[in-house]
This record gives sequence, C-alpha cells and structure tokens, in this order.
Amino acid sequence: MSNTEMTNTENNPVLSIENYSLDYETANGPFHALKTIDLSINRGEILGLVGESGSGKTSLAWSIMRYLPKNAREPGGRILLGGDNLLDKSERQMEAIRGRRISMVFQDPSTSLNPTLSLGTQLAEVLMRHRGLSRQQAWKEGEERLAHVGLKTPAQMMHRMPHEASGGEKQRVVIASAFACNPECIIFDEPTTALDVITSRQILDLFVELQAETGVASLYISHDLALVARTAGRVAVIKRGDIVEQGTVREIFTNPQQDYTRELINAVPDPAHRLVKDDVAVTDKPLVKVENVSVHFGRKSFLAALTGKKTERVTGNNAISLSVNPGEILGIVGESGSGKSTLAKAMTGLNRFEGKIWFDGREIRNLGDMDNAYRKDVQIIFQHPDASLNPRQKIFEILSRPLKLFGDGSDLEKQVGDMLEQVRLPRTHANRYPHQLSGGEKQRVAIARAFASKPKLVICDEITSALDVSVQASVVELLLDLQKASGTAYLFITHDLNLIRQIAHRIAVMYRGDLIEVVKAEEIDSPDRADYTRRLIEAVPRAAAQFQ
Amino acid sequence: MIVYTLFVVSLIVFAITQILPADAAVMMLGENATPEALDALRQTMGLDAPIWQQYFSWLWHVVQGDLGTSLRTGQPVGPAMFEALGRSLLLALFSIGLMLVLAIPLGIIAAIRRGKIADMVVSLVSYAGVALPEFVTATIAVLVFADWMKWLPPTGYVPLTEDFFGGIAHLVLPVCVISIILIAHVSRMVRSELVDVLHTDYIRAARLKGMSRGHVLRRHALRNALLPTITIVALDVGYLLGGVIVVEEIFAIPGIGRQLIVAIQARDLPAIQAGVLIMAATYSIVNFIADILYAWLDKRIQYD
Repeated sequence: MSNTEMTNTENNPVLSIENYSLDYETANGPFHALKTIDLSINRGEILGLVGESGSGKTSLAWSIMRYLPKNAREPGGRILLGGDNLLDKSERQMEAIRGRRISMVFQDPSTSLNPTLSLGTQLAEVLMRHRGLSRQQAWKEGEERLAHVGLKTPAQMMHRMPHEASGGEKQRVVIASAFACNPECIIFDEPTTALDVITSRQILDLFVELQAETGVASLYISHDLALVARTAGRVAVIKRGDIVEQGTVREIFTNPQQDYTRELINAVPDPAHRLVKDDVAVTDKPLVKVENVSVHFGRKSFLAALTGKKTERVTGNNAISLSVNPGEILGIVGESGSGKSTLAKAMTGLNRFEGKIWFDGREIRNLGDMDNAYRKDVQIIFQHPDASLNPRQKIFEILSRPLKLFGDGSDLEKQVGDMLEQVRLPRTHANRYPHQLSGGEKQRVAIARAFASKPKLVICDEITSALDVSVQASVVELLLDLQKASGTAYLFITHDLNLIRQIAHRIAVMYRGDLIEVVKAEEIDSPDRADYTRRLIEAVPRAAAQFQ
Repeated sequence: MIVYTLFVVSLIVFAITQILPADAAVMMLGENATPEALDALRQTMGLDAPIWQQYFSWLWHVVQGDLGTSLRTGQPVGPAMFEALGRSLLLALFSIGLMLVLAIPLGIIAAIRRGKIADMVVSLVSYAGVALPEFVTATIAVLVFADWMKWLPPTGYVPLTEDFFGGIAHLVLPVCVISIILIAHVSRMVRSELVDVLHTDYIRAARLKGMSRGHVLRRHALRNALLPTITIVALDVGYLLGGVIVVEEIFAIPGIGRQLIVAIQARDLPAIQAGVLIMAATYSIVNFIADILYAWLDKRIQYD
C-alpha cells in the first residue's frame, strides 16, 4: 500500500455501515434481524460488538462478508469497505474481496478448519488465490506467516493435519490466514470462546499485538463484556438487531446510558463482589469426602484380553482427594480436559472409579454402593439443558419422575407447580415441552428436577456456560437462594474463574487429571498459590477492575 | 478381526446345514437304500461322530483349502465354486464401475442444485430405481433391448477370453440391471453427505477466505463427502452378492449365485457350505479393504 493511500484511508473509515437493515423471510412473515445499523471502524481501531445470543451480532458479520442465506432481504442501507459499497458487488467480485480486503476469524478452530486437509494447504490456498503465488512460494510464505503468529515449528506445523494440532495452535493458523493478505478489515467472531482460559489469553495477546502492528480495522464480536473491555477501543451494544449504545470502553463502563447496557455490565461476574458469606465451618465430619479417587478410560478389547496384550489407559482423574462440608459451595476450576466433569461423573456413578467416596458417614467403593438413598442425596445438573431434558416429555412428566422415585408421589400436580414456582417459573409451564422454553428456563427446569429429591449435595457441571451473561446471573442468583433456603452443598464445576470467585467458599484447581490445590475463595489470588493457579488467575480478564 | 469374523461365519454356516432336513447318506444312496447300507456310509463319512467333531474336521479341511466333495457330481466343490466366483466378480466389478461413474456425478449435481429441477429428476429416478426389484427391471430390460430391439443377446455367458466383444455384449444387460439399484442408492447417499458437508463451518470458512464455489467443492467438500460413500459401497457389496443370485438366474450366467441355487435344489450340503462361506468371505474381505481405504484417506482414523 503506498503512502498516499495510507493518508486517504486515515481520514475515512475503513468500514462503514450506514442505515443498514436486514430481514429474514420466515413462514411467520419477515423477521427483522438488523434494524438501521450505523457503525464505522477506522484504520487501527478495534470496535467491540457486544450482545446476547440472537441479538444479531453474527448476522451483521454475514452481512458484511456478503454471505447471507437465501431468505435474507435487505430493505436498505449501505456497507462501505474503503468507499466501495459491498451491496453492489457481484458474487464473483466478492470472492476476490473476501480474504484479501476483508477477512474473518471464527469462533471454533476445530470446526472452521477442514479435517482432511493439512494446515499448510489451508493457509497456502489463500496466498495462492489472492496473491497469485505458486504452490512453492505460498508454502514458503505460509511458514513465515506461521512463525509470525508465534508457532514454534512452522515448517512442521504446515504439514500437520488439524487433529494433530491443539486448539490454540489451530486458532493461530486461522489468524495467520486472516492476516495473510494484509486485509483492510478483519472480523473476529468470538475467537476465544471455544478455547480454554490460558490459551484464550494467549490468542487475545496475539490478536492485540498483530492488530497494533498492522493497524487493521477490527470488528470484535463477543458476548463477553470483560473480554471486549480488554481489547476494544470503542464498544457498540446490540440488542435485538438494534445498536442501543455506542461509545468508548470507558464511557460504556463508567457511564452507561441504557438500562440494557447496565444490566449487561452488572451481569459480568466480578470477583471483588462476593455473593456468599464465608460462614461455613470446616468440620471434621464433611458431607462428602473423596479419597484417592482415580478414573481411567479405555477398556481392554476382547482380543487384547485374549492375547494378554497391554492396553494403554487414559487417566481422567489421578488420585483425587477432597471434601465438601454441609452447606458449602466448593468450586472446581480447570481448563477443558482437566478432569472436572470426570470427577463429577465418578461421584454420580456415571464413571467407574478406583478409591473411596465417603458420603454422610457411609463408604462408597463402587457403583453398586450407590443405592437409591445415595442417588436421592446426590443430584447432578448438566451443562446443556437441551440434552438433559427429554424433548418428547412435558415439563410435568420430567418433574414428576423424581417425585415418584424419591418422594411420596402424591398430588403431583401441586408438587410440580410448587417446584416450578420455587425456580421462578410460572406453574403453567408444566404443560409445555422443553423446546417451548428458552435456554435459561430449561436450565431452571433442570435445577428444579435436581432439587425435587431434596438432596444434600448438588453437582453443577458447567451449568451456566451455555447461557448468556445476563441469564447466567439470574440462574446463579436462583441457585444461591435455593442454597440459603435448603442448606444444600454444591459442587460447582466451571471454567469461569470470575464467577466461581464470587460464589464459592473454597475452590479446587485441577490440571490434567490432577488436583493442584484446594484454597479458600478469597485467597485464590494470593501470591502463595501454586504456579498453575497463578497462571489461571493472570489469564482471566477482569472487566470492572480497570475502571473502578 | 477378519479371521474372527470368518470363524463365526463358518460356525453359522455349519449349524444351518445341520438344521436342514437333508441326510447326506440318503442323498447319496437314494430313498430306497437299506438301513445297513446307510449306516455303513455314515460311518465311512464320519456322520455318526458328534457334531462338534464333524465341525472341526470340516473346518480343518477348509483351512487346508479342501471345501469338500459335491454329493451331486462327486467332484471337489472348491474349484467349481471359485471358477463361478470369478464370473460373478467380473459381473460385480463391471456393475460397481458403472455405478461409480454415474452415481457420484449424479449425487453431486443433485446436491449443488438442491431443490432445483436437476435435483428432483435425480431423486425421482433414484426412488424408482430403489423401488423396482431386479427381477422386474431385468424382465423389462430383456423384453425391450433383447426381444423388441434385438440389440443385445437376452441370456447366456461367453468368457471374455474366448470372444471379447461377444462376452461384453452378454454382460451389458445384467450389469445395467444390477447397477440401477446401486446407482439409486449411492447417488442419494452422495447427495445427502455432500449437502451436510456443504453446511459445515469449514466450508463456510473456505468460502469466506475468498475461495470460489468450484474450488471449495473440489478441494474441500468432495473428499469429506465421498469418504462415507466408501463404506456404503462396501456394504452394497452385500446387496450385490444377493442381487447377483437373482440376476445370474434370470440371465443364465453360471456364477456363484447360480451354483448356490443348484446346490440348494439338490441339497448338496458341501456345495452349500462352500458357496455361503465363499460369499461371506468375499463380503468380509471387501469391507476390510474399505476400512483400510477409509483410514488411509481420513488421517484421523488409526487402526492398531
């Protein structure tokens, strides 16, 4: 790019969206996905676009990329890239623009890369397509690009298949291809959501570094305000297809104009703001004591058993020992694959385990010891309510099952209604099917089901991670109220450190199947903590801390 | 694994022939044989031994390549069966070849023109193909192309080594009849796989990198869409072995299907055992090859 062009683009926004609307034709008439959007991004700027799921964030990205489904209608507006209206471009012209002048980084690198092509092939094809390089040139250039995004062995990485690289490495390759042709604008669509805490921090740092170096105008889409606060200069808040508020990060955080924005900010978990009292006495008689529990995966195949061949077993949990006191909330944190859920499954009898579990003075050695009384006392809530609620049963059937199993089963109608009220759902929801409920409502039903047997311990396995921030806040509030009322202990598994620091009494940190340490929640950021715990804490952005 | 499968198959085959209401001794000596003569024959053939002994002695011979002696002809079963298998495989190979040449392009066209006329025509033809059993299509084909048009010979088999063009002419109708159902099946499979693949994130990602539609189809979509097709084709070999029996009978081709039918009609136990075992072995081997091929093409899969 020559100098004169540089100054030209300096004055005008690189990307400007003017008065743009988008409708989807549906059987029930048009659905207004985007309503008269006005946005602009200058060179060297990062604009954060924040909103809940279904607010139209991703629709806007598809509009800019001109990759819309057939039922999309555009009643008006313009999308200008360096002064060219993209709405006027033919598909063929757009093909030459995509990847060269505007590119995109996607949410999940494990699905956005073709599983049957090597990473190098997928990077080199961009260079061949847009820069006219030969295969050899593109491959060489690709290696340089990979080195530039911080991959240690770029030549090797080029030859690897996607499944041979880690999530972070794959996302670096995707980022390298987005930056490959020095585009004017890049759209980042939740680029770290699918990655674990420490990796996502590294990817974020890489993004900030490359952005500063190239000065590319960036649209950073996220549902996580804390994340956007760390990266973006300006933030636009989108609600049901409408930009309700726009301003610098500082303005938005210190002086939000809209209630909606305020709600979003308040919903972001802030570890400084503890939601529970530290009044749980650590007793000699804990409710649950997990003693040297190990879980191994992989069973001997028939043939291996015959021939006596040794099979390699994968360790899910390695001699875990911890305890939960009555009425305590014990958080378990760790990145994906650290064995958090494996432990939860072992404790509910969904995984075979070695070792001992003491529950309320009883010794549990294997699945056979987990009788009805144990199952009544230990309940689990899963991450995805869509998967854990039977889609063909009405809420009434779903909730009356534990009542019949563990309760007296009398006057089900009233009991189910009471349960729904307890989780702040209308009694009439009993007649609905799960798909007629929103994600947050479904998770409330799952919570009601877990509490139906009046358990002593509820295991919450990432129960808020599929929910929006504001919904998450209300579900957490509900859980804490239920806990106050019933004195149930929670084993709260999450990867959201800020959230767990708000609500847990103690936090257990896990890493690759090992328990690193169990510490009091307010002491988790002390410098005496284990190396890994410190790295975790450092990796997590805290939104409010910067502005308060 | 494949050895294990064949072992189980041999057990089942042997068990089935034991259940059949046929006494080998009666078959050989005829209905009017004296009980003493029958007993003597049973003794020499080892038929009075316990069943498991009979099984292992049979299995031992099979492993050594001796499939037994036909009760009907008194000749060894093995050579005749393998010769017939060769003719059937020739028929099957031509059918699969024709199917691949037609089904894959048809499936691709249907997938990328989804909902358009081309898609509907392909769908309609495939439904018709799946719905019509081969004895119907075969009869129609013979009637039209052999009887009315007189383009092709109606039945019979001529070895390619004897008369190449004559042999091909005799194969055209049976090959077409067998491939119709395969084409219908596989083209629908290719279509639905490709439609799924075209909706994946990585296809969208490739399009958003500026790759053209054609490039994305060739480089990104086809390989992923055709992988499951390998499995389907291998499974179809099972159908093919069954379909071949009917088609060989109609077109009078002395393949393994026809041999088997003759053996069943004559209650020729060793021949039935050999025929079924050979067919099962063919099926297992084809699926084994398909698994290997799949793993070779899809690097994510590894076999120990």
